[in-house]
Amino acid sequence: MSDVTLRDVRKSFGAVEIIKGVDLDIKSGEFVVFVGPSGCGKSTLLRMIAGLETITAGDLAIGGDRMNEVDPSQRGIAMVFQSYALYPHMTVRENMGFALRFAGLPKAEIRKQVDEAARILELEPLMDRKPKALSGGQRQRVAIGRAIVRHPKVFLFDEPLSNLDAELRVHMRIEIAKLHRDLGATIIYVTHDQVEAMTLADKIVVLRSGVVEQVGAPLELYDNPANLFVAGFIGSPKMNFLKGVVEGGSAGRADIRLPDFGGAVVPVALKGELPAAGSPVTLGIRPSQFTETGDAALPVTVDMLEHLGSETLIYARSTASDLVTIASQSRSNIAMGDTMIARFPSSGALLFSADGKRIY
Amino acid sequence: MSAISTRPKRPRFDVNGWLFVGPALALIAIFMVFPILHSLWMSFQSGLGMRLSFAGLKNIYRLFNDPLFLMALTNTFIFFLVQVPVMLTLALITAALLNNPDIKFRGVLRTAIFLPCVTSLVAYTVLFKSMFVANGLVNTVLINLGIVNVGIPWMTDPFWCRVMIIIAITWRWTGYNMIFYLAAMQNIDRSVYEAARIDGVPTWARFVSLTVPMLKPVILFTTVTSTIGTLQLFDEVSTITGGGSAGGAAGPGNSALTLSLYIYNLTFKFAPNLGYAATVSYVIVLLVAILSFLQFYAARERKA
Repeated sequence: MSDVTLRDVRKSFGAVEIIKGVDLDIKSGEFVVFVGPSGCGKSTLLRMIAGLETITAGDLAIGGDRMNEVDPSQRGIAMVFQSYALYPHMTVRENMGFALRFAGLPKAEIRKQVDEAARILELEPLMDRKPKALSGGQRQRVAIGRAIVRHPKVFLFDEPLSNLDAELRVHMRIEIAKLHRDLGATIIYVTHDQVEAMTLADKIVVLRSGVVEQVGAPLELYDNPANLFVAGFIGSPKMNFLKGVVEGGSAGRADIRLPDFGGAVVPVALKGELPAAGSPVTLGIRPSQFTETGDAALPVTVDMLEHLGSETLIYARSTASDLVTIASQSRSNIAMGDTMIARFPSSGALLFSADGKRIY
Repeated sequence: MSAISTRPKRPRFDVNGWLFVGPALALIAIFMVFPILHSLWMSFQSGLGMRLSFAGLKNIYRLFNDPLFLMALTNTFIFFLVQVPVMLTLALITAALLNNPDIKFRGVLRTAIFLPCVTSLVAYTVLFKSMFVANGLVNTVLINLGIVNVGIPWMTDPFWCRVMIIIAITWRWTGYNMIFYLAAMQNIDRSVYEAARIDGVPTWARFVSLTVPMLKPVILFTTVTSTIGTLQLFDEVSTITGGGSAGGAAGPGNSALTLSLYIYNLTFKFAPNLGYAATVSYVIVLLVAILSFLQFYAARERKA
């Protein structure tokens, strides 16, 4: 049992509230990723779970036991830091076995545990080296090894890949995913990189300014974002947001006029009530949703092109210079400065009210 | 001339370069290199005042039969062996305490502990002298607190006289060394300690097994500079115990006579024997060299 539950957890530094009441249920064995822009409180929340920051209000439980006042070493957690936080004067073996010395384990047992972790992480040839003689990726593996030997109920990762170069980041991402599969442990992982979040997580927690914006599986967040923030944060390239006005409509359909696109009218399927005519809304379309056969049409001017091989990203402008990103699968012969009609199926568009809430 | 070698060859002797460093080199040669070499030459000479004559190794033989030199050597070693470890341990502990962000008035405390090393030597020795006399502040406080019944004979007992000197130099230089440790501690990644906390490493072990090893280069530096400082100890013993004044002994029975003070006495107080004084100077040079080498050797990076 290594469920983690947070109930109305809050954190204040003086008069400033950083975490504004977080409720969260993390099931045993789940890989949960906290994601959000810098300063959203994701690292603080992780450090509160670790016990490195006190909890101002609310309850934290790990495995059903209240942990608010429990010492970090007694919470059954292990943490991997962005800076690796290795002990610089100790060898890899000493780094990994250091905690076990204070847990009162006999030397032979420590050796066995450390060797086992080294085998899992393929660190065997490096055991007698010091951290400064290791590459970034190797250091991070040692940091993970130091966590593994403690057999924690919950692994906490604080932006573990941020200090690595792009190629190594992809490689380590896969390693961490494999590790989760092999160990079956609960993992809470903090990152600002939404690609990491999408690829690793069973469940993503999107945070902004100390508030949970949405919790869900990666594809659920991608397909059904609850608000403008989540819609904009998840997915790369970013979702296009077009300013619109409700023109009219009928049951299950709203006609949205886009003044910046020559007054084009897009009929959007609607689940809830039809907003009053004339109220401002935002239309959300992912760059990949543009197709040549869509029923909605936007007249745009091509500003920039990025040929990625598998697709071409078209950065285009409306008459009012709103930027639209279009991902095109075909290698058309569009050039910069061309005018074109960008088409998308209106059924795929998302609709947000003026306060950013999703209305469909 | 080929296209590759268009860059002019650097001449062995570049007048411009030597002109720039020339004045500095001349000053160093006149005021440092020459005196060092000349004193080495002087250490093989003997005689009064300026009337020196070559004496070979006579000065070195004299060292071993000179009770005052042996006394000064012993005293210097006592000060070095007791004072340096005490002071550096104290500096390390105060640095660790004052590095704790939960302590109030950290800035004031740091300044207070650092200030002694920038106070005037004369002012502080006069103060120490008045505090440690038989009926001075220290004895009065100790008696009133009931720690001792009779005043401690700081100025008249060889043992207590050395203790007083050690207290004085420790007071003066602890803060100075503490600043080095503080600066080094502030460079340690905080997450290392956080990782240790999560790993369940107790506070004392974090200090002993993490802080101290990570400060090793700074500890080595302070050990070497403090060793040099203590081997050259002169100021305090000269002024507090009166060893520097005409006719005054350095503490009871010369118990606070140090090598530096002895050199001073040989040169300026007794019948001046510059040759022998130079020999004693080179004893200090030799000691500093040996001790520094040992310290660097002990602190070397061991290959795994």
